[in-house]
Amino acid sequence: MNAELKVSKKKSRNEFKVNFEGKLTPWQRFKSRFLTLNFLKNVVLAIFRYVILIGISYVILYPFIAKVAGSFMSREDFMDITVKLIPKYPTLDTYKAIITENKYFLALLNTTILSLFCAVMQMVMTMIIGYGLAKFKFKGNTVVFFAVIFTMIVPHQALKLAFFTRFRYFDFFGLIKLIGGKPLNLINTYWPIGLLSFSGLAFKNGLYIFLMRQFFRGVPDELEEAAYVDGSGVFKTFVRIIVPLAGPMMITVFLFAFSWQWTDDFYSTLFFTRNTTYLMPNIITVPPSLDTTGFLAAEVYSSAIINTAALLIILPLLLIYSFFQKYLVQGIERSGIVG
Amino acid sequence: MNSAAAVKVEPKTKKVSPKKRKAKSLDKKKAKAGWVFVAPFLLVFLLIYVPVIFDSIRFSFNEMVNTSSGFLLTFVGWDNYEAAFFSDPLFVSTLTSGLQQLILEIPAIVIFSLFMAVLLNQKMVGRTLFRAIFFIPVILSTGLIDDIDMNNSFASYAEGGMEEESINQAGDLVTAMDLQAIFSTMKIGTGMVDYVVDIVNDVYQVVNRSGVQMLIFLAGLQSISPAIYESCTIDGATAWETFWKITFPMISPMILVNTVYTIIDSFTSSSNQVMNYIGRVYSERDGGNTLATAMYWVYFLIVILIIAVVAGILSAYTFYQRRD
Repeated sequence: MNAELKVSKKKSRNEFKVNFEGKLTPWQRFKSRFLTLNFLKNVVLAIFRYVILIGISYVILYPFIAKVAGSFMSREDFMDITVKLIPKYPTLDTYKAIITENKYFLALLNTTILSLFCAVMQMVMTMIIGYGLAKFKFKGNTVVFFAVIFTMIVPHQALKLAFFTRFRYFDFFGLIKLIGGKPLNLINTYWPIGLLSFSGLAFKNGLYIFLMRQFFRGVPDELEEAAYVDGSGVFKTFVRIIVPLAGPMMITVFLFAFSWQWTDDFYSTLFFTRNTTYLMPNIITVPPSLDTTGFLAAEVYSSAIINTAALLIILPLLLIYSFFQKYLVQGIERSGIVG
Repeated sequence: MNSAAAVKVEPKTKKVSPKKRKAKSLDKKKAKAGWVFVAPFLLVFLLIYVPVIFDSIRFSFNEMVNTSSGFLLTFVGWDNYEAAFFSDPLFVSTLTSGLQQLILEIPAIVIFSLFMAVLLNQKMVGRTLFRAIFFIPVILSTGLIDDIDMNNSFASYAEGGMEEESINQAGDLVTAMDLQAIFSTMKIGTGMVDYVVDIVNDVYQVVNRSGVQMLIFLAGLQSISPAIYESCTIDGATAWETFWKITFPMISPMILVNTVYTIIDSFTSSSNQVMNYIGRVYSERDGGNTLATAMYWVYFLIVILIIAVVAGILSAYTFYQRRD
């Protein structure tokens, strides 16, 4: 039974060949497939595309490659003009000096706590605010939205002095002065940055609120209506139905908030003065044991040391990014941003 | 038992006021909930952010002296603004050249990010890898790292050889001379050539600052229905025509968003030369903090004006697809 079937199949396949492809020699088939204008166009386009993509990838990656190369170079390498990217006398001294003398791990711990705190807070709060702006048609909705846009546009540098004095002499309609005798000093505490994160006013939070709003506007209203009909309240619906939907967008905002807080040098130096809370900006100095004064290639050498510090700063971010990068595009893609 | 009773009661109340009352109360309830959702933002915005802005404006009209218990303000009127414009040697020239650069860079960033988003949206081998590489600057090259890379003498040292460096400055990719030699026969103005040369030499900055824009464009490209492209190919449109007739109008809202975002982003970034200059005034000069605050507000007003003009022009040409 089986054998017969096989034979008949073979036969039919042969017939097929004879009928339709018998006239084509391999050369002709090759020609019809590869020697057409269309194929040529595709090849040229592909080459063009890859040349651009690889070229720009190189531009993006070059500073990191240079940083890695420079971080292993020793003093002698900078004296030797034949050394450019690959060190002749590789050493780990630069890393050791930064880790021990600049107290890298202390900065790492403090920055991790601060960034995690801010990123989680900002993610949750911008989600809540964005949802409120996207789905509720209360009076003043557009006014609040314009306020959000306004916080995006005002340069935070312009508010530097005012922020500092506000939190250095923190007072609430004169209430605190009445109780404690003098205004509170909130500098070097987590309060200022926590307060700003809580209300979606910290670094670039306007963008996060905007992204969240656009995302929630793309969620069909029927979902919530179905939940309301089933007797679920507004807040229960938000927690049970909406939050699980917002996963990719939450990851995107978390990634932005975490990494931008991590490398931030504005709020972290404004609200945390140097000696009390040791953060990442503080490790960007040349360690004493690698003193470059009087050294012939001092400028390049100290620049390489600073670059090594930068490398150590972004190392944890790189790890996080490699895990989450695919959600980054996904989250934005699903947001359906329009206008 | 209970539920049965409830069912029996309901029709009676419905007779009194059908539908209307219930719908109204739900809307009201929802509106109230909306206020609750935005309350954290609104409270701190009104209680801290707005006063901070007023403080900042007030400081720009004052002289500030630090004392042991706080600070003393003395009203000086428009002195800080006058100082910024008339007695500061570099402010006006930095401002004009900075704004010029801003206006030149913005089209470059928007066009570049659109171009790259279209490229990264195509199906090809290694797309995820390229996407991962292209979004690295969004995550990593900000704040501290951006500051370090701004004047990175090591990177340029490793890039250029010794002989080259003595001829061209700091290992630029192309020099204006090369391009002018090529373009002089093509009747293209030197201004245009200089612009292109500047952009090419600044390609790292352009790439670095177009990450978020690329993401937004990519999202826009993904939201265009494939059915439109399909019908275009059936009607015999070429890829070029499809881009200009379909892709471009469909993502024009994103062009508006990205242009505004690019202006905001590049004028508040610390790598901006005007910001840099004002930052130095703030920290280095005596009484510079109030002067710098005044300068920031001048700069802010000018940029707001630019944003309004640009957004006004672009929104006239923006196409919104109506979906029913």
